[in-house]
Amino acid sequence: MQSVILTDGCALTRLRSATDGCALTRLRSARARLESALGERISSPFTDLDRRVFESVPTGITSLDALTGGLPRGAISEIFGPPSSGRTSTMVSIFAEAIARDEVCALVDGNDAFDPKSAASAGVELNRLLWVRCHKLDQVLKSTDLLLQGGGFGRVVMDLTDLPLSHTRSIPLASWFRFQRTIEKTPTVLLVMSPESVVQSAAALVLRMEMRTAEWSTVLNGLNLNVEVIRSRRFRGRLPNYLNSIQARFKNLGN
Amino acid sequence: MFACIYIPTASGDTAAALVDCAGTFSPRVENTGAGTVVFDVEGLERLFGGYSEIAEKIRDSVCARGLQANVAVAANADAAVCAARGFCGVTVIQRGTEAGRLRDLPLDVLKPSPEISETLERWGIRTLGAFANLPAVHVSERLGQEGVKLHKLAQGAGARPIVPHVAALRLVEVMELDYDITTIEPLTFILSRMLDQICSRMRSRNLATHEVRLALGTYVRILNLPIPVRNSRLLTKLFILDLEAHPPGIAIKRVEVEAVPVKPRVVQNGLFVPLSPEPEKLELTLARLKAVVGDENVGSAEILDTHRPDAFSVIPFGRRLRESTQRNPINLRLTLRLFRPPLDATVQLRNQIPVWIAFHGRHGPIATASGPWHTSGDWWRPTMWDREEWDVEVADMLYRIYYDVHLDRWYAQGVYD
Repeated sequence: MQSVILTDGCALTRLRSATDGCALTRLRSARARLESALGERISSPFTDLDRRVFESVPTGITSLDALTGGLPRGAISEIFGPPSSGRTSTMVSIFAEAIARDEVCALVDGNDAFDPKSAASAGVELNRLLWVRCHKLDQVLKSTDLLLQGGGFGRVVMDLTDLPLSHTRSIPLASWFRFQRTIEKTPTVLLVMSPESVVQSAAALVLRMEMRTAEWSTVLNGLNLNVEVIRSRRFRGRLPNYLNSIQARFKNLGN
Repeated sequence: MFACIYIPTASGDTAAALVDCAGTFSPRVENTGAGTVVFDVEGLERLFGGYSEIAEKIRDSVCARGLQANVAVAANADAAVCAARGFCGVTVIQRGTEAGRLRDLPLDVLKPSPEISETLERWGIRTLGAFANLPAVHVSERLGQEGVKLHKLAQGAGARPIVPHVAALRLVEVMELDYDITTIEPLTFILSRMLDQICSRMRSRNLATHEVRLALGTYVRILNLPIPVRNSRLLTKLFILDLEAHPPGIAIKRVEVEAVPVKPRVVQNGLFVPLSPEPEKLELTLARLKAVVGDENVGSAEILDTHRPDAFSVIPFGRRLRESTQRNPINLRLTLRLFRPPLDATVQLRNQIPVWIAFHGRHGPIATASGPWHTSGDWWRPTMWDREEWDVEVADMLYRIYYDVHLDRWYAQGVYD
């Protein structure tokens, strides 16, 4: 055991200093020796255990899916931005897409602002959407906790959009990590919508939205918006700069 | 061998008493109707002696219930019925002698239809023996299938199996308490025990329940479930959550739980079935959510068939999860977030067009306005509405506002988001 550790230490030192092609060969042989030495006790000593495979689900917005790869299952995603930035339209699109795949969704509505008529005309089958109408932050947190513990929902959306900022900022980070831990090995997507980013490092995907232009003729025709990826655990900094934002468009078809 | 108990003038209660009486001798009891009960006594000789003794015991048992009945024992159920209807007191017909013993009985014991009875009367046939002597082929030609069946019965040759009587199952547990209960916590233990018993009985009969009634003295709560369950822990939790939301408000002296038995749910799960909550867990989650936000705030939205703005109702979730309904096509649509209730607004107009707005701490010039879109309805009701809607852009935010013609006031209805 002792000799193996010493050998490993030397090999790793050489590994770090290897910069040319010749060193690559030495690196491979060193790795092979280490793996054979540790083989009986550690099956894959060089596998990055932190790197998880994220299964993703589409949002229903093609350009957003192309940008982010979809919403990661078993993780928290966050969408934030000011009013009229397209957050709710995106949420409805996510519901419609999930329900079209026969999944069941839940909305924890922080301030009872959900409009069922808009959602139905966007393609959401309301029978498969559980709507929890809250009026206080603690109701939102308790309801979300219950839904995540109960399990079986494809998408759970926590809508903090209309709650006072002082309230949403007061949610402890531990709560977000608890939610993240609850859904970690489940197929549930927890989506948090807020006026500013609150989930912080517990989120696997954070998107910022803002209105670019509103299209008017004699009526309000639609909304063009910018979507920026603030954080994506899936890409881990590999997202090129020119790809970290997109523009999307929602049409206004009247109620 | 079969035994038959017959009371000519039996009421509903008497028939139930006869079934109970027969049940003390055999589990295979048929309630034939019209005061007649037939049951299987095969193999009872070792318990009660010969069939004569058995018949006597049966008569004694009936007498002990304050009833007077004819009792007959025969090799088949129909012969026993005919004998009980035709002979007074106790009759035992040995195997193979049915036709001979029944021959003098009147045709009425067969309970023929009025048409056949009239035909036989015209033919001069008045006893079973005379009817049994007719050629079967001719009976079939003239009286049809019913005639053939009665002909066989007249010969004492019935061979039908009896249809066992199944008593309606009542799953009830009652507990009288020595001391009153005023809080819900001690009730948890009592309910848990009672529901355990009920679920155990259901499990032994492969049954479940979708409706459980809890009576706490005069206070009654009914738990309706979307699917049949027999999980006592689940039922206990649901009842406790329900009682916490709707406390009895009285001291509890008596607890009665009754479950309506139904067949259990049989589901074949598949590998590729889409994600959905387990029904039992979902019911519990919904009950807990209702305890947090209130009954009326949990469920599915159902849009009402009216043009009234924001007209919807909240219906229980999960009842129609398995139903496939026609879906609207998915489209990227600008969605409205509503202010409930609508916010009072102050609006300045120029040439009948809104140019400035203030509501709920927000104010500013209106950059773009589109409208008015006039909507009204239910003018014949007190809940009438009459409004002019506008879509406006204020400081890079898109709002829907409206002017209530009836109230002469402006409101902000929601924000496009």
